[in-house]
Order: sequence, then structure tokens, then C-alpha cells
Amino acid sequence: MILAHGQIYEESLQKSIISSLKKEIPATLEGPKLEIEKIYAAAERLYQRVLKGEFDELAAPLLAMAHLSHETFLEYAKEFSAEGLRKKVELELGKDPFSPHGISSHHFAIRRPLGVLLHIAAGNVDFLPAYSVLEGLLAGNINLLKLPSGDKGLSVKLLQELIQEEPSLSPYIYVFDVPSTEVDTLKELSHYADAVVVWGGDFAVKGVREFADPNSQIITWGHKLSFAYVDQKTSDEDLRGLAEDICLSNQMLCSSCQGLYYDGSDEKELEEFAKRFVSILSETNARMGPAALGMRAKSALAILNEKMEGRGKIFQSPGVSAIVYPDSDLLLSFLFRNVWIKPLPEEKIVEVLKPYRGYLQTCALLVEQEKRAALRERFFLAGLTRLSGPHMSLTEPGEAHDGSYALSRYTRIVDYQE
Amino acid sequence: MVRVFGEEEYSTSKDKGQREKGKSIVLFAELVYDEFMDHVKKLFRLSHPYDTAKSNDLFVKAMRENCAWHYDRCPAYRAILEREHFKPEMIQTYDDLAKIPYIPTLYFKHHELASEPDKKMILKVTSSGTSGQNQSKIGYDVYTILRDWEMVKRLFRYHKVWSLKPTHFVVFGYQPHKGNNKAIAKSSWGFTFTSPALSKDYAIRWINGDYKVDLENIEKKLIRYAKGHHQVRSLGFPAYTYFLLQEMKAHGVHVKLPKGSKMTLGGGWKQFYAQACSKQEFYDLAHEVLGLEEKDIIEFFGAVEHPIMWTTCEKHHFHVPVYARVIIRDPDTFAPLPPGKMGLINLLTPLSHAAPLTSIVTDDLGILHEEECGCGIHSPYLEIVGRVGLEDIKTCAAGAEELLKGAKS
Repeated sequence: MILAHGQIYEESLQKSIISSLKKEIPATLEGPKLEIEKIYAAAERLYQRVLKGEFDELAAPLLAMAHLSHETFLEYAKEFSAEGLRKKVELELGKDPFSPHGISSHHFAIRRPLGVLLHIAAGNVDFLPAYSVLEGLLAGNINLLKLPSGDKGLSVKLLQELIQEEPSLSPYIYVFDVPSTEVDTLKELSHYADAVVVWGGDFAVKGVREFADPNSQIITWGHKLSFAYVDQKTSDEDLRGLAEDICLSNQMLCSSCQGLYYDGSDEKELEEFAKRFVSILSETNARMGPAALGMRAKSALAILNEKMEGRGKIFQSPGVSAIVYPDSDLLLSFLFRNVWIKPLPEEKIVEVLKPYRGYLQTCALLVEQEKRAALRERFFLAGLTRLSGPHMSLTEPGEAHDGSYALSRYTRIVDYQE
Repeated sequence: MVRVFGEEEYSTSKDKGQREKGKSIVLFAELVYDEFMDHVKKLFRLSHPYDTAKSNDLFVKAMRENCAWHYDRCPAYRAILEREHFKPEMIQTYDDLAKIPYIPTLYFKHHELASEPDKKMILKVTSSGTSGQNQSKIGYDVYTILRDWEMVKRLFRYHKVWSLKPTHFVVFGYQPHKGNNKAIAKSSWGFTFTSPALSKDYAIRWINGDYKVDLENIEKKLIRYAKGHHQVRSLGFPAYTYFLLQEMKAHGVHVKLPKGSKMTLGGGWKQFYAQACSKQEFYDLAHEVLGLEEKDIIEFFGAVEHPIMWTTCEKHHFHVPVYARVIIRDPDTFAPLPPGKMGLINLLTPLSHAAPLTSIVTDDLGILHEEECGCGIHSPYLEIVGRVGLEDIKTCAAGAEELLKGAKS
């Protein structure tokens, strides 16, 4: 599906639409400015329609697949209300972001959009491509979006609705369906872009580096891993909160818990802790309802294989598990309510985690208040970008993303003298 | 009798020539000493490939024999059984089959289990995974290949694949090449011998030391063969076949392949879950473009870890053949589930002499149906629902794991 000029086009027209960008982009840049207030208003009207249940049918299967409740959906949707977006822009770019600031009496600095962004979106969250474009719009850019393979059309639908609410956005949004193998087309698209925004792993980034115009920046939003940090004194209440987060997210987000690092290295102590955590996880799992069958089946096979390999000490209860390993390597868990537990004494944190710097994101710091300040320092030194409480997957509007604000990366500061 | 073919017989023969001679002796001995047939051989020579009800006792005996063979000859397999406190002689009744320790296919991807020395493996095949890290590598010896052949012969006869009529073969897959050990390439090559071949065309051709996809050529050939009188048989991945059919439809092709033509599919419908193409759409498309009837479309399914040729009946169901049994297991407890319930697929077969493929668990979800489907086969049929996990969704955390391992997806 292709979206341009606010309309859906047949794929066969892709080539001619792409070649018309050469004329259309400069015309849009020189045309009337994108008014941010209009974006807020359009998003607010869409949000009101969401509240009325107009998009329930579209959202329901996706929520079911990810095992998310309707309430969670509404909570997420609120980030896209006028209020949510205004808050985001203010936090990330400051008040009045696009007005000049005086450096001296005749010297001014002003924030401007980068111009044109090419978004290479990942397919792991269905609405993510649309979200990336929205961020590009808020920063005032023209957005070219390459859909991920296997996209189900949700992003195009959302963007089309947005344009219908505010037709003046139409010259700022283009969606193309280019397979990653069509390097020539991607090259052509990147040729028009001031920056290529890549969502995905090293593999995707490497691919983009190969085709991107040397003249355009590459902005990456990579895959990350997160974990919890606990010790002997971690409270049941915190562990219950963490267990809830694990069940809600099924550990599928960058910010959700893959495993628990334990402050200490005594094997018996770790195993005692694992038993305690599995019983809390099991009880939470029973309360919240089991993960989907396919998820359970996948992790069951992984654990069976682990048993056969004789790796780790496995503590299990139907549908959940914790496996104690002697090493401190940062790994993905088996997901879907199965965690690893590994030793990581406080003084080893920087040494062990630093090598993973590019992949680190959140740590749920579940230790006593007195210990936190020192630990916070160590985790930030190691390269983490976010410390949280037990509900680590819940993000708030305005939070930085992997250590930076998207909107500020999508803009630049220009200077001029009167 | 089996021991006669044991390692000692040509373990001293170091050079290749003598080894080849050894192999022919084995072949010869197999043919001559029929009367000493073990239970596995008997099972693979049953005349009706779907009479599972009558073959249950024989199946149990063959499984015991096979389990004992690997227990004696494969230390890694023995260790797996011992950890579960299981001994082959514990297989006495049909219900005991569920107690045989099952190995997930994932395990074969990191361990090359074998019950025969390397020199006896006359064939080594790998699963169709894309990166070397995630492929199972499994060896086949003469004994196993002979059993496999007995099975294929009977199944092809039952499903009327054999034909004496001259045939144009069209393979939607790899052209054979000695460097290609993929199971799918081996089996598609074998398929071109099911009737006298007038021609063999491959969609993925070996050109100047490289594999190249050439669908245009296949389309041209199919149109040409449709004008002739000789039947056409095609074999290939459903995804490639579907893609070609769509292309042909877009080019306005509507032909009718000559009488006796069949389309056979193997290699999984995995890519289809993403494309959301139902099997019915596929059959309709094949009818529209090539004039094939639904009954002319046969589907195969198998795996290097379970080399049984599951074949669809005329109602498109995979009935359990005498050579294998299925246990559907609860993912939470691994307990066997009753018919009609969805769970992990545990496949059992005594076929392999070369590797302990006795009882394996695939990474698919399935349902075993006991109701009659009306095709005339009375054994239950296996419905493969799809891969375990979260269809289509790659989590960002999972992506990070790939990076950490430096693997390419």
C-alpha cells in the first residue's frame, strides 16, 4: 500500500511517485509552514474518536495478540491527545521551540526541522511506523516511510485518518512499500532525505549504512535489553510488581524485564531467591491468566532444551520459570514469563555491563532506599539510560528514549546575525 | 541378524574402494536375508500404509528395537534416557510410547547425534534454516535409506504418484548441485524419477557457480507444456509456487495442463501465515491459472529430524501412516492431550538406524483429529496449526539477542 498526497495508490505507481519527489519536496519546503497547533488539533480529534470506540475493532486483534487490556490501550492512546503531544514537545524541545533565541544583541539561534526524514521502521510493534512519522511531523519534517515487511496496514490507516482530520498534513507524509532487497529504490529515497531514521537491530542498521546517501545522517533506535536488580532484602511487594509487569508485557518490550541480577554470588542464596520469586511469579500468573498457548509452547521447548543441555538450575511452575545461572552475561530470556537469575555483586556492575553499552536500557532498581543513590551512579556509568521501579515497561510521555529526545534529534540549530 | 551389518564388518577397510564394496555387501545381505527381518523392516513393508489400527503391536515392537539400538550405540542418547531413568525394555504396550524421552528439534541444531560412525553415513542432510548455526545436520545410513525407500514406494503407490507416462517435471526449488545438502533439494531431485522424465525444469537454477531464481523460464515452459499432450508434475515450496501462480495470473495466463498432471507441495506453509493466504485461495488460484483440480494437488510434510513422508489425502489431511505415531502434548506439563486439543507435536518413528530420531518434538503446534474425513483412510489426521511463539512478531528484546550473538536473521 502506498500513501501520497493523502491518497492510497496502487503499488504499480510507486516508481513514478518516487520520481516526482524531486519536484514535490522543494515545493513543500517552500510552501506554507507546517503548523504544530494543527497537528495537535488533528491528533486530539483522532483521540476523541478512539475514546468513542471507533478504532476498537482495529485494535482488538492486536491487543489480544500481545495480551494487552483495553485499559492499557486507552492509556497509550492518551499519549496522542493534544495534551500528551504538547507535553512531549515542550519536554523535548522546550517552550516555543521554533522561535529565535538571542545569543547576543544581533546574533540569534533558532531551531529548525532537519527537512526530510526517511523512516525505516521495524515490524515488531504494529503502530510503530506511524508513531515514528508523527514524531517527524512534530519536529516539522517531511516524512518518507518505508513500511516493514509483513506490515498489516495499521500504520497507513492511522496516517490516512490523521490526514483526513487535517488535510494540510498531506504533503508531509509519504508511505512506500519497498522490500529491503530493492536497494536502488531505497538509495533513491535516501537521496532525498536529510536523515534516515532506522528502527531495528544492527543488521538493519548495517543494511541502511550500505545504501544511505553519504550526505544524509543516520539516526538509529536500536534493540535494547532490560533487567531488574535485586538483593536479599528486596520486598515481596516489589517482586509482585515486577511479576505483574513481566506478565503484562510478556517481556517483549525493550524496557521489559529479561532477568534479575542479584547483588551477591552465593549459589545457595541465589537459589533460595529463585524459589521465592517463582512462587510470586506463579501466583501472579494465575491471577492474571496464562500467556497465549503459542507463547507457552515456545518457552516450554526452550526450557526442555535447556534441561537437556544441563544448563542452569531450573525452578518451574506451570507457565513460569526462573533459571539460575552462575555467569553474569546479559542475555535475552526465553520470554513469555520466564526469567534468568544471575549473580552481579554491586562492585562488579560497571565491569560486567560496560561491554554491553549499546544494548542497555532499563534497570528496575528494587533495593532499599539507602543503597539506591550509589547503585544509580554505577548503572549510569555502565551505560544504562533508564532506572525504574517494579513496573519497568510503563513509560510516561516525555521520557527520553534510549538516552535522547527524538524530537531534538529530528531538528537542528541554525544561527544568524541581523 | 542386524549385527551382521555392524561396524566390525568393514571397520578395517580404510580406503574408499573397500568401503564402497562394504556398502554393496550390506545391500546384498539385506536383500538375501529377508527372513531374518527385524520388526522395523516388517513395519516398513506393510502393504497398507495407513492401517495403523492393525499395526499398533508391530509399531511398539519396532520402537523398542529402535530405542534399544540407539541406547546401545549412541552414548549421548543413552545419557538422555538415563537422566529420565528410562530403559528401552520399558516399552511394552502402546501407552508406553508416550514415556519414551522426547528430544526437541532445537536440540539437534546444536548436537549431531549419531548411532553409526561417520563413514557409514552415505548421506548427510541439513534442515532448511538459513544460517549454519541453526541447522540440524543428520546422517543417513544404508539401512535407513532402504526403509525410507520402502515407505516412499508404498506411499507413492497409494497416492498414485507413480506413473509410466512420460512427464515434464517442474521443480519450484533448487537445481541439484553437489554442494547443496538441503533435505528439500535432495527430495525434489528424487521426485523427478517417479515417472519417465521428458524434461526437468528448476525455478532456482545453478548458473555459473551461483543459484539464480528464474521464474520467467518456468512460466514460459508451463504455458508450452499446456499446449502439448504430456502430463506435468510440479514440486516445490508452497510460497514459491503461490508467487509464480500470482505472477502468471497477473500476466493473464489461463491454461489447462494435460490430463494426469499434478502439483505437489512440500516445505511448509510458514510464509503463508504472514501473507494470510488460505489453502483454499491457493487451490482456487491453481485451478484458475493451470486448470488443476483440488484432488490433483498433493502436499508433503517431513523434517530432517523426522524423515517420514507425510502425505495429504484427497481432502488435504495428513493421516497418520503406519510408520509413525503422533502424541499431542500440553505445553505446560508435556502430558499427552486427547484428540481435538491443540498442543506441541511429538512425532515417533523407528525409521532411523543412523540417528536417534525415535521420539522428537517439533516447534509447531498441532491437533490430532480422530473423526473420519471421508477420504477412505481411517487413521487419525494431524493438523499443523503453526509455529510456536508469537506469529509474525519480532520483539525488540529478541532482536537484541541476535545482535549479542552476532547472528544474522
